[in-house]
Amino acid sequence: MEITRRGFVKLTGLGAASIALSQLGFDLGPAKAYAAGLKIKGAKEVISICPFCAVCCHFIAHVKDGKVINTEGDPGYPISEGALCAKGASMLPMINSDHRLLKPLYRAPYSDRWEEKSWDWMLTRLAQRMKDTRDNDFKRYNDKGETVNRVNSMFHLGSSQMDNEECAVVHQAMRALGIVHFDHQARI
Amino acid sequence: MSKAFFIDTSRCTACRGCQVACKEWHELPATKTRQRGTHQNPVDLNPYTYKLVRFREHKVNDTVKWNFFPDQCRHCLEAPCKDVADNYVKGAVVRDEETGAIIYTELTKQLPNKAFEEMRSDCPYDIPRRHDGTGLIVKCDMCIDRVSNGLLPMCVKTCPSGAMNFGARKEMLNMANKRLAVLKREYPKAQLVDEDDVNVIYLITEKPEFYHDFVLAQGFGAITRKAALAKLVSPVKAQLRPLQNLFA
Repeated sequence: MEITRRGFVKLTGLGAASIALSQLGFDLGPAKAYAAGLKIKGAKEVISICPFCAVCCHFIAHVKDGKVINTEGDPGYPISEGALCAKGASMLPMINSDHRLLKPLYRAPYSDRWEEKSWDWMLTRLAQRMKDTRDNDFKRYNDKGETVNRVNSMFHLGSSQMDNEECAVVHQAMRALGIVHFDHQARI
Repeated sequence: MSKAFFIDTSRCTACRGCQVACKEWHELPATKTRQRGTHQNPVDLNPYTYKLVRFREHKVNDTVKWNFFPDQCRHCLEAPCKDVADNYVKGAVVRDEETGAIIYTELTKQLPNKAFEEMRSDCPYDIPRRHDGTGLIVKCDMCIDRVSNGLLPMCVKTCPSGAMNFGARKEMLNMANKRLAVLKREYPKAQLVDEDDVNVIYLITEKPEFYHDFVLAQGFGAITRKAALAKLVSPVKAQLRPLQNLFA
């Protein structure tokens, strides 16, 4: 290394300054300690989707030792470009909260408590209830004798997270049951 | 090079993404609040809330003006809180030379309560808060862990409207002045707030008091800040404290 006179002066000056600081008893450790660890360093990045509204913002989940330790916007998602609103910014507790349900809960008619059930049991039960309701309430004709082929006792609420094609399939399935009451959860 | 925020309140929609993202990054718990007839929640900064979107509305000529102010530490170029802390415990409050961030360290636990009260009343923006249990004094840390690793502060990363900006101080000043020139045409009262003294530069389009009581620092300029604060700000704060406690 070639040391110019100027550089040499700078070097010795720096040396002298460091000695002076340590002699004065300044501990430079704590001043730098705050910036030392970045908690997401070395974490695996997994992209997921905010479930709240129709924008479907992508977010990055940082995973360490099998646990999500941070979530933040995904700059690669062209609509939000890494931004998130208050709901999207709160994905971390959505995942890690004690209040999060991990299994379907069932409350029997007139019961005052919830029971844990398997998805199989729950889906079979839902399908059975839907079929029973449809079979009981299906009307071929209205009071005037006109053909209507409808069920008035069921209602379908769509999700803002569904794309056009999914909506078309669900719509047809509901129409096949005779359901005529539809609405859409645009934003909750 | 020194870093700065540019906070363009004219773009803020008060979604509070910044407030939530800040809380999540710093792993701070929720605070219990109640409905007080405003969307501002919680009522004030607290040991678990370093960033707070303030809401304030005024009626002017039968038109309601509703202003939002994403409040946080301004990271003063000459921080009065650091001056106070240095008199008691060296290293409790430090200034990060690279970014200009004013950082409260673990050593703030050692500061006597008298020092904390002095820090809070000397802060031109009423920012420092003390955690009763641990004694830690806290506020925005500019996400120094993120920034020193080349990432944006969480509030800026999250902001969906472009209100929150972060970068080299020079660039932020440039951006702020350009935006001010545009907004001046429609909002004659538009101004940058204390841009020569702080690293968090706010742009407001209405009178400061239409946003929050501590938008402008009192006492920058002719008289020294400390002297001015002692005379001007403290009585104001003294009057406001009971009010804030009432709503807390």
